[in-house]
Amino acid sequence: MAEVQLVDVEKRYGAFLAVPKQSLTIEEGEFLVLLGPSGCGKTTTMRMIAGLEEITSGDLMIAGERANDKPPKDRDIAMVFQNYGLYPHMTVGENIGYPLKLRGMDRKARETRVQETAEKVELQALLKRRPSELSGGQRQRVALARAIVRTPKIFLMDEPLSNLDAKLRVTMRAELKHLHHELGVTTVYVTHDQMEAMTLASRVAVMKEGRIVQLDTPKKIYSEPADLFVAGFIGSPSMNLVEGRITGGNFEAQGVSLPVAEPDRGDVVMGIRPEDVQLTRDGDAPISGKLYALELTGDSTLVTLRNGATSICARGPADFEAPIDAPCALAPKPGARIHLFDKKTGQRLDA
Amino acid sequence: MSKSVLWWVERALLLLISTIVLFPIAWMFLTAFKRPRDAYSLSLDFSPTLANFATVFSDPWNLGDMVLNSVIVATVTVLIAVPCASLAAYSFSRFRVKGRKFLFFLILSTQFIPAVVIVLPFFLMFRSLGLLDTRVALIVVNLAIVTPFVIWMIKGFIDAIPTDSEEAAMIDGASRLRVIKDIVLPMAAPGILTSSIFCFILTWNEFLFALILTRRDAVTLPVGLVSFRTERGDLWELMSAAGVMITVPIFIMALLIQKHFTRGMTAGAVK
Repeated sequence: MAEVQLVDVEKRYGAFLAVPKQSLTIEEGEFLVLLGPSGCGKTTTMRMIAGLEEITSGDLMIAGERANDKPPKDRDIAMVFQNYGLYPHMTVGENIGYPLKLRGMDRKARETRVQETAEKVELQALLKRRPSELSGGQRQRVALARAIVRTPKIFLMDEPLSNLDAKLRVTMRAELKHLHHELGVTTVYVTHDQMEAMTLASRVAVMKEGRIVQLDTPKKIYSEPADLFVAGFIGSPSMNLVEGRITGGNFEAQGVSLPVAEPDRGDVVMGIRPEDVQLTRDGDAPISGKLYALELTGDSTLVTLRNGATSICARGPADFEAPIDAPCALAPKPGARIHLFDKKTGQRLDA
Repeated sequence: MSKSVLWWVERALLLLISTIVLFPIAWMFLTAFKRPRDAYSLSLDFSPTLANFATVFSDPWNLGDMVLNSVIVATVTVLIAVPCASLAAYSFSRFRVKGRKFLFFLILSTQFIPAVVIVLPFFLMFRSLGLLDTRVALIVVNLAIVTPFVIWMIKGFIDAIPTDSEEAAMIDGASRLRVIKDIVLPMAAPGILTSSIFCFILTWNEFLFALILTRRDAVTLPVGLVSFRTERGDLWELMSAAGVMITVPIFIMALLIQKHFTRGMTAGAVK
């Protein structure tokens, strides 16, 4: 277990700036998720911590020690790779036991430890097989077992669930969460899946173009997105964003008139989550338009309303039915959050 | 039924090409077992004999010495070239050093020079060094010829190995050399073996330098063949017997290559 600190760390590939100068502290025992679309620098950041990528400038501190020039093997980390990175010429058991072998653990102790670890990820029946004889999910579990066979200072996980099918992903997610609870090892987890980030993280760092846009608890990221990018990235279906202006204490856009607590101004983007909007029969509802689409998701129906350029989606009851193009009205639920952003800078207004 | 016509044309062409390619080899194999008087006839009706082999291995031909020279030169060349080339190929494949592409080009460019152009300078050099007619000279020359080739071949095999497994090993606690030993070499083994055999064949068949740089002591098999052109004429049956001795080891190796070449070692490393 250890605290990881990135101090003014920057990564350049020649003239290309991959990760601009920034600092980040990952606290001891924390589960930090780096979240962002592909190419946002999250994997590069993790690989710098691992020592697989040189740091152009700045300091990387692991447990208070500068680690910039330490080779990966001396950093006492374990990593799960997106593409597994298994050793194809070794059996599953040898794969899992390799980190122990490198540390000079004798054969017998190694076998016991491998057996215990294999049981944790339900691989005990496959120890004699080769990676090529396994399914994707099984390979992923071998990669995971190899990482947890010893207790490192830090776990690094690079999209470890991305190659699994939807069902296995949910099971493994829970297993990872439990494992972190059990071992309490500082974990850095890279993903582009906001659901994984929300469910696993103690804190989430949302990244865009190499920069950390917001670093906060999943709850805060969800309820108080720092800018339009985070607002649109977190949540499924994503937050409704409507361009308009504030006049007389009301946010105004085509088909929308909502009371807000900000001073009057133009060039504003209003955001409201589908979960925060409900259907209403009220005559002068704050949001009105024509029904554009109905999508049943099982436990609820996603109702999309349109009025000119305005398009707003609400999560309605599963039994809601109405013809397309029927007039439709929506209102914020009591206690709903209405987010306001500066259209030019994208920044949150009440921040 | 145009497909079946095409099928027949294809087979006929294949048969024709194989005949053209295989005829001299078949002729050599047959002649090696013929008596001198049958050597010029194409007839398959002859009583086979092993006498030619007995003759070429005894005085004055002493093919045994040449076999030994060839085996030593080819084996030592492989034993030095392949480990060096493997390390060089790994470096070229994995390290992003400035001027890497130019350096790699430089190594390959040594292959652009026709051997005939440099054979005389080599001769003068080895004469000054007092190494003419020695196996050492042949090994040095052959190393210069095959190493760039083998680097290039093995680099291809190493390039095909995903770096994920190597990075995983480094994080698991292995040093760079340990990674090469535990991960890269086993995964590249079929490629390295193929390259070794290729290297062996090149050295085994090398003629020009061996002809110029040897006289008596270090003569190799291909050069030895020439000695069957005597003032009594070309001794075809003896030349064929010696030819068989040169060809058979290469045949066996080619078969080995085929077996290993088709088997991939990287399956299962990544998704």
